[in-house]
Amino acid sequence: MAQIRLKMERVIDLLASSTPSDVCFHCGTIAPSKKWTLSESEQSAPLIFCCQGCLTVFQILSARGLEAYYEIKKKAGSFRPATPVGGPSHGDEYLDDPELRRHYATEVSPGLQQMQFYLEGIHCAACVWLIEKVPDFVPGVISVRLEVGRSVVSVQARKDLAWSSVARQFREFGYSPHPVREGEGEQFEAKENRSLLIKVGVAGACTGNIMLMAVSLYGGATGVLAEWFRWISFLLFLPVLFWSALPFYKSAYSNLRMKSVSVDVPIVLGIVLGFVASVVNLVQGSAHIYFDSLSMLVFLLLASRYILKRTGQNALRSSSLAHFMGPSVARRYAGAEPNETQEVSVEVLRPGDVVEVRVGETIPVDGVVVQGESRLNCALLTGESEPQKVVAGDVVFAGTLNEQTPLRIRVSASGVATRVGQILKTIQQGSVKKAPIVQLTDRVARYFVSAVLGGGLLSFFIFAGVMQLGFEEALNRTLALVIVSCPCALALATPLALTRAMGQAARRGILIKSAEVIERIVSVKNVFVDKTGTLTEGRFEVLSWEQKDQPEDRFEIEQAVLELEKRSTHSIAKAVVRYLISKKSGKETSTFAGIVDFQERLGKGVFGRIRGHGYELRRVDALSMNSQVGVYRDSRLCAIIELGDQVREDSAVSIQQLGRRGLPMAILSGDSPAVVKRVAGAVGIGNQNAWGGLGPEQKQERVVAHPFSLMVGDGANDAQALNAAFVGVAVHGGMEISLRVADVYLARPGLGPLVELFDLSTSTLGVIRRNLVFSLLYNLLGISFALIGKVNPLFAALLMPLSALTVYVSTWVGSRGLRERIT
Amino acid sequence: MNIVFILLPFALLLGLGFLGIFIWMVGAGQFDDLETPAYRLLFEETSEETKKKGNASDDNGT
Repeated sequence: MAQIRLKMERVIDLLASSTPSDVCFHCGTIAPSKKWTLSESEQSAPLIFCCQGCLTVFQILSARGLEAYYEIKKKAGSFRPATPVGGPSHGDEYLDDPELRRHYATEVSPGLQQMQFYLEGIHCAACVWLIEKVPDFVPGVISVRLEVGRSVVSVQARKDLAWSSVARQFREFGYSPHPVREGEGEQFEAKENRSLLIKVGVAGACTGNIMLMAVSLYGGATGVLAEWFRWISFLLFLPVLFWSALPFYKSAYSNLRMKSVSVDVPIVLGIVLGFVASVVNLVQGSAHIYFDSLSMLVFLLLASRYILKRTGQNALRSSSLAHFMGPSVARRYAGAEPNETQEVSVEVLRPGDVVEVRVGETIPVDGVVVQGESRLNCALLTGESEPQKVVAGDVVFAGTLNEQTPLRIRVSASGVATRVGQILKTIQQGSVKKAPIVQLTDRVARYFVSAVLGGGLLSFFIFAGVMQLGFEEALNRTLALVIVSCPCALALATPLALTRAMGQAARRGILIKSAEVIERIVSVKNVFVDKTGTLTEGRFEVLSWEQKDQPEDRFEIEQAVLELEKRSTHSIAKAVVRYLISKKSGKETSTFAGIVDFQERLGKGVFGRIRGHGYELRRVDALSMNSQVGVYRDSRLCAIIELGDQVREDSAVSIQQLGRRGLPMAILSGDSPAVVKRVAGAVGIGNQNAWGGLGPEQKQERVVAHPFSLMVGDGANDAQALNAAFVGVAVHGGMEISLRVADVYLARPGLGPLVELFDLSTSTLGVIRRNLVFSLLYNLLGISFALIGKVNPLFAALLMPLSALTVYVSTWVGSRGLRERIT
Repeated sequence: MNIVFILLPFALLLGLGFLGIFIWMVGAGQFDDLETPAYRLLFEETSEETKKKGNASDDNGT
């Protein structure tokens, strides 16, 4: 055991020495302060962490001999950006509530129950390893399976196990668990995926066996053997025709009923006519049967569609969204003791209940403040970066963040009845319909079908009337023409190119929900951008510190300000602390013993005595757009700190690049119009296109009023606008939440990836066009051979895979060129 | 050539068997999650785990 310990310590040392000195050892994000460090061994440099949460997780992991986590993470790499662990927001006792258990837990077998959790913070292979180790540490847990695509973990445990102990374990490992219920939508989706896969499998197996027969026939099998082979291939084709090809019939039928034509219509036409012709020939003992080509066609198309479907992030749809937007737990005041609270699920809260909301917690319900005064960060609802003051009697909304002092709130609405719940409901119901897009392939198919049908009829009359071939021969040639012009390559062209494009986008941190989005992007006419967090950094930063008086004592004043602001939870105070700590990194800090007479005056500032001087920090009425804080020492103004939300470095360049594509750009923001105009000026967007003071509903109206618009915004507070937009791009917040409302999620900050997305879509559409040209050439070749009567089953069987291969090579070459161009 | 008439049904039955196994595996959810198993493959068992498993098989044997 001691040896193992020693070995593990060496592993940590080794990893620590290869980790840059300013990033967190646990999560890998930049650790600005050296506040959280740990010395593993005497000789090596201390390990650095970004927050208490990451440090605690590290200690727990090393205490249990799970340091291999870091090794696996290093070797296998991450597939998503990691986030700091942070502090715990609430306990997990609410999970032991029998009512909640009835809702979420299911019984898998007698004495064994199962529950699913969505885990926040899953980002790498080592996460899978760590999560699935939980049964070793929580007695009673039988199995833990994580699905990384959805970040959902299924836990099976003995019936008498308290679920809170499982949740606590996840939390100790640095993940926040949220219980989830499988909705009908998810179950339907999973069932559909399975059924499609079986269809692919059946088509593949039958095609393979039919090919065996076909090769023998082409090879010259004769007599009874040939007869057998033909009949067996007929039997093997039946499951393909009546089971595997069902999706094509359904889609073609619904298309015809809507009086439109998709590429599925000519496919079905080819399959059905080909089958009829082959059966007639089979009965008559003729060699003209096409079962091999037709079943291969079905197999190739089904397989490409299945792969395309699984490439998209389809699992992340808008159902079960409510779990992610607000907290699922509230602290309710129990009747017996006046100050005792009990953790309950928000689902059991009723209007009239009183709940406690501590500092740093999200308000779980709509309600009225009954006690306390504080500042709320309403960014989720309004997008405003500055916190709002609330006092007793004020109405507050679920989803807003309590920043300053604890509040007591009387519930007026909870769950879906809240304002944020209503917003989510509109999104889930999909009441905002998007403009339909007709895929390029389907537009081509429209002409294709009429060309094939018209050409078929015409050639039949030519064969029968002009060339005097006789009815039977004319019909045979015409059918051959229809079969050989079945658009295999045409139907493959799009799925192949889109699958490649989505894979490439994902490698660049651009996650696309469904393939359709790539074609949508090319027809975008306007771009709307949110300000906070998209064009700007999304948080208050100190822009400047202007010393007005007593410059000789500047260092002492800065120290005093740091001490004072450390005690405040206000976002401005936090920004000042960040600024001063980063400025002082390396220098001696905290030389002051104590603060006397500290006061925080809500909405005004802070006051305290340090070393005999009275210090006060309070807001100065600013002439400029930014917030200004004055530093007073013994009532004399000695410094002014200017704070603001800084514009991202790359914003202006990205806006310029998008502008070059001829797209009109506009800013939609909930922040005050003056601030929005200033940011617009900084990134080069005209003043007339900078709209401020918009609520979520108004943002949505603006987006709807401009068809074919792309909206870039925060996954949470712009949810409605993102959902309503022709293309919604989320740039901030969690990926899972964002992709439930938006079409695209950019895992890298800033607008740079958006520019890449536009480039990628344009070139992908180029590849699709080229594929279409190739496939039409093949069809032309097939048709001309059919016209001179040279088409036989062997010709069809060779033409189809050859055309598919060409399209595949064209796609592969096309996307390779693309990769070189962008990177 | 008569052997073909025996081999042919045999080959088809074999294929059918594999197709049946495939359908059964799809139904059992083997292909629902195509992402996680790829990562699970990467984990090496620690020496303790191997020992535990070794002991377990010993117990079964004796």
